[in-house]
Amino acid sequence: MPNVAAEQPVSIRLVVNDRRHQLDVGAGETLLRTLRERLALIGPKEACGEGECGACTVLVDGGPVASCILAAGSTDGRTIRTVEGLAGTGELTTLQQAFVSHAAVQCGYCTPGVLMVLTALLDTVPDPTEADIRRALAGNICRCTGYQQIVEAALAAAEAAAS
Amino acid sequence: MQFCRVSSVAEAVDELSRWGAEGRILAGGTDVMPQCLRGEQSPAALIDIGGIDTMQGIADVGGATSIGALVTLRRLATASLVALRHPALAQAAATVGAWQTQTVATLGGNICSAAPTADTLPALLVADAQLALVSKSGRRRLGLGEFLEGPGATALRSTELLRAIQLQPIAEHGAEGYLKVGRRSAMDRAAVGLALRLSVTPNGVVSDARIAVCGGTRTPHRVPSAESALTGTQLVDGHLDCAEAGAELAGAATPEHAESALYRRRVLPGLLDRLAQRCIAEIAGAES
Repeated sequence: MPNVAAEQPVSIRLVVNDRRHQLDVGAGETLLRTLRERLALIGPKEACGEGECGACTVLVDGGPVASCILAAGSTDGRTIRTVEGLAGTGELTTLQQAFVSHAAVQCGYCTPGVLMVLTALLDTVPDPTEADIRRALAGNICRCTGYQQIVEAALAAAEAAAS
Repeated sequence: MQFCRVSSVAEAVDELSRWGAEGRILAGGTDVMPQCLRGEQSPAALIDIGGIDTMQGIADVGGATSIGALVTLRRLATASLVALRHPALAQAAATVGAWQTQTVATLGGNICSAAPTADTLPALLVADAQLALVSKSGRRRLGLGEFLEGPGATALRSTELLRAIQLQPIAEHGAEGYLKVGRRSAMDRAAVGLALRLSVTPNGVVSDARIAVCGGTRTPHRVPSAESALTGTQLVDGHLDCAEAGAELAGAATPEHAESALYRRRVLPGLLDRLAQRCIAEIAGAES
């Protein structure tokens, strides 16, 4: 059996919000911890820590994942997008703008994760139905229970993007 | 703990033989990572197989479908070849957790975790899933039914890797589907999950019936007594009488899981009837 240090670091290269990074992360470190503590991207939130609530959702190669249970070591070579990467140029995206105009934010804790899932949906299904939107949001819990405004904002964003 | 990234099957089996039971394979990590974070297990090494390109494919191999163990549930739920040949598997994969889970969770992980409630397993069982296992000392092939030994327990050796899954597609006059009941419509484990594959002759006799369940038992499994009750049945006015098979199926529910056996015994015959009539309608639709 090889000698084992407590937690040996592993080197990863990844692109986060269009910026390249090379990092040494812990073997059991989650992507959420890497983003929040090493890259100071505190948009993704930790709530359940078990991949059940969606507050930590980020996009990995365009697909939504729960970063609180994703091993950072397994993201080598991947492209990550967090909520900070949406308004990269300083201007809100159509979806973010729709959240503001539909008051789709209450306490705001679930908002970064919700925005990332809906961004992934609108990237792949430009003209989603209300059922598509609700299905996409199944893994995002809003304990203020403001789902109706979120769904309306997403429908409005899809419509605005199509026009 | 050490993080070992491998990019080929050969490298993976090398690491597995090096670490033995102290190593833990990491694919999507949706089971392994929460277990590590909760301190339920602390392997000496995580062997990350996510970068093995040869385990990501879905392909036809001499009429069978070969699915790499690293194919994600999201891909199973959306790939056209799977929808066409293995609709029950596509339907089952679409019900596992949320989109965030399906993006990274893999078919191989679902099989090796061997949860009693694993949605994909009944769909694989009705497709006669054969598992391609590889280790440094050689290869072997095992039917999924033999592989599953109990809750979280499988025949996988600590030095072995599940490389691919081979499935038999639905027959020409066949259809199949998967239905589950949980406490919520999304994101929930199956209290009961049921996969049915049916073949019907042009004159309306069931020539082959395969039924598998999850959620109500120690491990997902086929129910041969219900299958033989359905086989040979003649359709009447386009309707398949499932009463006898439903009673056999209800008898297969054992009282070992969170939801009561009484509940599952009542639900299973209804699920079977719904799935059967749906399959019959699909077969009739394809032939008209």
